[in-house]
Amino acid sequence: MKRHHPIVRITHWVNVVALTIMIGSGLRIFNAYPAFARKGEIFCCYPFEHRPIPDRLTFGGWLAGARNWHFAMMWVLVVNGLVYLAFIYLHGEWRDLVPRRGIVSDSWQMIRFYVAARRDHPRQGKHNALQRMAYFAMPIVGIMAVVTGLAIWKPVELAPLTNAMGGYVWARYWHFWAMLLLVLLSVVHVFMVFTVDPYSIPSMITGGYREDLSPEARNARPFIHLLPGRRTATPHTDAHPRS
Amino acid sequence: MRIPDPDPDARRVILPGHAAERLGIDRRRFLATAGTSLGALALAACDSMGPRSAQRLLKYAEAKNEVIERALLRHTSMDAPPRGAMAAGSHFPSYFVSKTVPVWDPAVRGVWRLEVSGMVRNPLTLSLEDLAALPRTGYRLDHYCVEGWTAVATRTGVALTELARLAGVQPGAKYVDFQSFDDDYHESWDIESATHPQTLIVYAQDGHYLNAAWGAPARVYSPVKLGYKNTKYLTKIVFLPERTGGYWSDRGYEWYGGV
Repeated sequence: MKRHHPIVRITHWVNVVALTIMIGSGLRIFNAYPAFARKGEIFCCYPFEHRPIPDRLTFGGWLAGARNWHFAMMWVLVVNGLVYLAFIYLHGEWRDLVPRRGIVSDSWQMIRFYVAARRDHPRQGKHNALQRMAYFAMPIVGIMAVVTGLAIWKPVELAPLTNAMGGYVWARYWHFWAMLLLVLLSVVHVFMVFTVDPYSIPSMITGGYREDLSPEARNARPFIHLLPGRRTATPHTDAHPRS
Repeated sequence: MRIPDPDPDARRVILPGHAAERLGIDRRRFLATAGTSLGALALAACDSMGPRSAQRLLKYAEAKNEVIERALLRHTSMDAPPRGAMAAGSHFPSYFVSKTVPVWDPAVRGVWRLEVSGMVRNPLTLSLEDLAALPRTGYRLDHYCVEGWTAVATRTGVALTELARLAGVQPGAKYVDFQSFDDDYHESWDIESATHPQTLIVYAQDGHYLNAAWGAPARVYSPVKLGYKNTKYLTKIVFLPERTGGYWSDRGYEWYGGV
């Protein structure tokens, strides 16, 4: 039994490429006017008005290039997202991803484990409570990015949508926030993959996963082996008595 | 990437080890050279504008997006800035492609006139007085710049539909080219956007005749098009059977540029 269905693996990596290009080109577009205020007004809620994002974090080379990439890649992002959501709905994977009863106390146990207030890794199924919340939030923020994006693409033709977000200036602000949240979720996700469950990387490529190397089996906490005076937990690879 | 010439002295001695060492490059320098070569290779194939072969794909996406944008266009969807939005007033940006502000000098060019021509039964040549005498339309409108900013101004002028009616546009006219005396600046539009009720030939902004910075004597303005599609310093409105590109559209910006 593979850990991830091929459709989940493919949509995951397509999403990596599409999101990277969307964010890079979006930041380049943002740099053409790195502010939110309507001309002649002051915007309340962004402390870095008129300070551009460093060029090397952007993609597209110039405004027109970035726009062309953004408006092409958006369809890849949307179609890929719809394929993923339709698949996990029809195939049942959504059950591993939606928050379930006890999510608060399960999250609390995970936090206790990560801060070493609890010795053993809680066993909460394929994904622990914190993962569930992150993986559940990702598509929601993605939808937020798409809807706010539509609102600033067509503020006249889709005026009711744009007005529902408080008008063009605010829709652009919410679009920026959707990007920030996507970046935050992705950064935490990649950090946890590399520091807690690096053995899950092959499972997102070939689908294979060794349960004996799972964070539960290894009692893995992020960077725990770097803390002074703390021994790495013994892996439970050899559970049967040796005698 | 040029590999540094080997040291002539080192060439005489056959050095053991890696080929790079024999060339007189130590391991660290070899790695650095290899790294930059790979980097240069990656950049050549994929610079910050992305892989060059993708340009055709981007053109394809633009054509598909135009179909969607045209389908979304409604003559009934009107722009209305939020009630609390302040007029940009003197903060309204000034923009032109000439080296200096384009000013129509009657001593050199004669009296300014707007020409309405192309596929029309009755070509028009209108002075500013003629324009001002035509039925006046004004809206408080957002200006949507491709850069992402918006600015609110009250635009007053003549609806393009009025000029089209007077000139008697023929049914085969599917595009309109708006030409200017700001160097070779022009932008062509689809006829559907041009005949949107908020597409105006503007000669006044916030209650005053346009100044040179804002496109005097007249400009086209419509909230259904991004700023760069709205030619300022207008001289000609030409109805055409085919699109004729435009200043920024020919330089890589989306031709349709709808809002």
